[in-house]
Amino acid sequence: MKRQIPLIIVLTLGIVFFIQFFIPSQISTNIYQTTLQWEIVISAFAIVLAIGSLINHHMLKIQRRKPHWWNSIVTLIAMLVMALLGILGRVEGMESLGQLYRTLFLYVQAPMDSAMFAILAFYMASAAYRAFRARSQEAALLLISGFIIMLGVVPFGSLLWSKIPDIAEWIMMVPNMAAKRGILFGVGLGMTATSLKIILGIERSWLGGGGK
Amino acid sequence: MRQKIPGLLLVLFWASLSLALPARQEPVTAEPAAAVAPAPEVKAGDTPNDGGKAITVTWQASPDEARGLVDGYEVLRSETAEGEFSKVGYVPYGFTSFDDQEVPQNARDYFYQVKTVGRGAAAFTLSAVSNPAQAREQWFNTARVNALISCILFTLIVVIFITRAKRGQSLFIRRIAGLAAVEEAVGRATEMGRPILYVPGLSSITDVATIAALNILGQVAKKAAEYDTPLLVPNRDPVVFTVAQEIVKSAYAEVGRPDAYNHDSVFYLTDSQMGFASGVDGIMAREKPATNFFLGMFWAESLILAETGAATGAIQIAGTDAISQLPFFITACDYTLIGEELYAASAYLSKEPMLLGTMKGQDWSKALIVFLLLAGLATALIAPGTRDFILKILKVG
Amino acid sequence: MKILENLTKINRRYIFLMVAVAVIVPLIIPMNLPTIPGKYTIKLYDFIDKIPPQSQPVVIAADYSPSMMPELQPMLESIIRHCFAKKVRVIVLTLDPNGAALSEAALKKIAPEYDAVYGRDYAFLGFKPGSSIVMMSIGENIRQAFPADFYGKSLDSLPMMANVRNYADIPIVVSIAGSAITQSWIAYAGTRYHANVGSGCTAVSTADYYPFLQSGQLVGLLNGMKGASEYEYLNQKNGYSKAPRVAGKGMDAVSIVHLLLMAFIIIGNVGYLVARHNQSKKQGA
Repeated sequence: MKRQIPLIIVLTLGIVFFIQFFIPSQISTNIYQTTLQWEIVISAFAIVLAIGSLINHHMLKIQRRKPHWWNSIVTLIAMLVMALLGILGRVEGMESLGQLYRTLFLYVQAPMDSAMFAILAFYMASAAYRAFRARSQEAALLLISGFIIMLGVVPFGSLLWSKIPDIAEWIMMVPNMAAKRGILFGVGLGMTATSLKIILGIERSWLGGGGK
Repeated sequence: MRQKIPGLLLVLFWASLSLALPARQEPVTAEPAAAVAPAPEVKAGDTPNDGGKAITVTWQASPDEARGLVDGYEVLRSETAEGEFSKVGYVPYGFTSFDDQEVPQNARDYFYQVKTVGRGAAAFTLSAVSNPAQAREQWFNTARVNALISCILFTLIVVIFITRAKRGQSLFIRRIAGLAAVEEAVGRATEMGRPILYVPGLSSITDVATIAALNILGQVAKKAAEYDTPLLVPNRDPVVFTVAQEIVKSAYAEVGRPDAYNHDSVFYLTDSQMGFASGVDGIMAREKPATNFFLGMFWAESLILAETGAATGAIQIAGTDAISQLPFFITACDYTLIGEELYAASAYLSKEPMLLGTMKGQDWSKALIVFLLLAGLATALIAPGTRDFILKILKVG
Repeated sequence: MKILENLTKINRRYIFLMVAVAVIVPLIIPMNLPTIPGKYTIKLYDFIDKIPPQSQPVVIAADYSPSMMPELQPMLESIIRHCFAKKVRVIVLTLDPNGAALSEAALKKIAPEYDAVYGRDYAFLGFKPGSSIVMMSIGENIRQAFPADFYGKSLDSLPMMANVRNYADIPIVVSIAGSAITQSWIAYAGTRYHANVGSGCTAVSTADYYPFLQSGQLVGLLNGMKGASEYEYLNQKNGYSKAPRVAGKGMDAVSIVHLLLMAFIIIGNVGYLVARHNQSKKQGA
């Protein structure tokens, strides 16, 4: 029974919303809008569960003195401080706390985010060095086109040969775009098939493994 | 509200003007000499394929538009042909239709007039009053017939292959290296006594890629439960987190090991994209998982995750339909599922005939698309006039 | 030969170190590498250059947050400098909640350099939520979207706004952004209201905008740090700006890192080919 209920819900709602797509009437649109609102409400509940999980996860780490457990203390304190400042900062008479919240956001979180993003440059270098090898003819072709694109974006490219930026643009516009669109066709069909499998109850892995 | 004030003023201005002038005069002669020619053939009709309360107004461009004298067209509505017209919208020159989305009532006559607004402040001219039109509610969107036909066709093809598979006909599915490696990857973690890391993407549950990733999680969790290998599933989206937790729990129960399930193995990290990336990087550096799965939707953090994983020496299986992130995964991971391979994973891993049947159906549908593409290309080359027709039948409204 | 084979095994820490050096050194010691403006930068530059002085204003939509500042802020500053130097009027607005502080800072910094007067030479409308709705209401009347400027003054009180109603009175909208918002500007301001649209975008999103350049829906495009540096260069070459080239400096670093990447790829491949050659020789023997 525990298996059947979710399958019935999925089948019914799947078919209802498939039909809804083809009916433009007012009632049909209203039903759709209402479910969208439900979705928001459900996510709000999920956030509570998520925060619960976060607190639980780190409390366990601290209790069991797992390696680097002190980081968990930092996480919990940071979460608490930001949440309190964010909420209290909106209360009249406590605007200075809101200011502190913005300061922490702009001068602590924003730079940390940017720093993490900047690591990408380093990783790109090490990944390119390690993996960009002419192992086969195709890989060699890829290597050459990669080189042309890179030359196309730096001044040296134009200095070497004025046509290099144009060739780089052509590679991006023609072969690159064609391959992208080819993959997109497969992705589109894959999405439709996955949805169909779930609606018809053929795919049950999401209920926890094969469903046999 | 403040945005509506200028519009309201215009309406008032027009109302006072229409009171001062006779209602149905010949516009061209009544306006000052600088006025532009009116828009001819103003017609109104119900907006098709909608929930009602909308009327589409069309007209011909004012002859002065070609001479660059027209700024745009104001559309006016009234309940009677002679009555007071009030402004309902404005479109710039170059456009000859307007959808009035705020019709007060369905199944009631409304009349329209189009005011051609010339360049410069005072020059404008009214058109003749349109035919009466009523807004109506539709129960079927005819602009989506093509989508309906292709859905039915696709479902039919899939059903045919499912029945074939049920009858026991063997279906050939090519080997997908990344999926063939899943078993080995889980086994490796067991041998090394290290955990498996599974990241179900950074997107929400509404992304089909996330659903595909969660399907694979079910299979991986079952194997992990069988081998008694610890599983780590960090999450970025709260809804995905709750679903993932349920899936892993059921998978453990499925193989008869509910006691081995650790409630803390599926956990929520953070909503911040780069915060999540640094959190997962930290897990990889500390716990040194033997196997990393990155399946689902990824953005700029893809390489940050995959490179760190490569540095810790883990065997890595990635899969995404985010085309711009594929190159990063291909460079830094051992196996990468490209686009639709991610969706095929569940069928491939379970080897269930019904699922394999849908995969075959998918392949044949793709062949059909390729055929249509080539046929369309050939027709458009032979008879260039058919191009617009082909595009029209393919457009979903 | 052993040394060559070892080229495949450079520790990634050394690679990181070299990348760090390649980024930091050009920022401290500018190398002033040559700048060769690309055709889409030139197109945008020329378009703005041909706008008659003290006539209709250019609209710059600075729709980005601080994380994209390094690439996009130099674009905003260069275009403002170009306009001020040519006495072309400028309206700056933003549809990103984090954008207002950045664009206001740029205007406040640059206006005194050119004796530009607020209300006569430039206007700052600040942030407005609603993105595409704002774009469409500018199509009817800019006062509908922005009844007042950032400082709360009515638009009608600004002399430069006297003859500005909608896109018909705006020669070009330049959308500077790292998100898909530029596509909305193209769709609403461009396609729907016939405005000319130019773009300044981050290097990663450039590929998304090539189709619009081909179709003529974009007048021109500044491609990330490179585009910003090219615009700065054109400004300096024509004597419109004496300010130090921020993006030019950044571009030095970007170019050197690109070269370094290419060098790593070559080194890795030389090592790989040598190792493969040796291995096949061993197998042959």
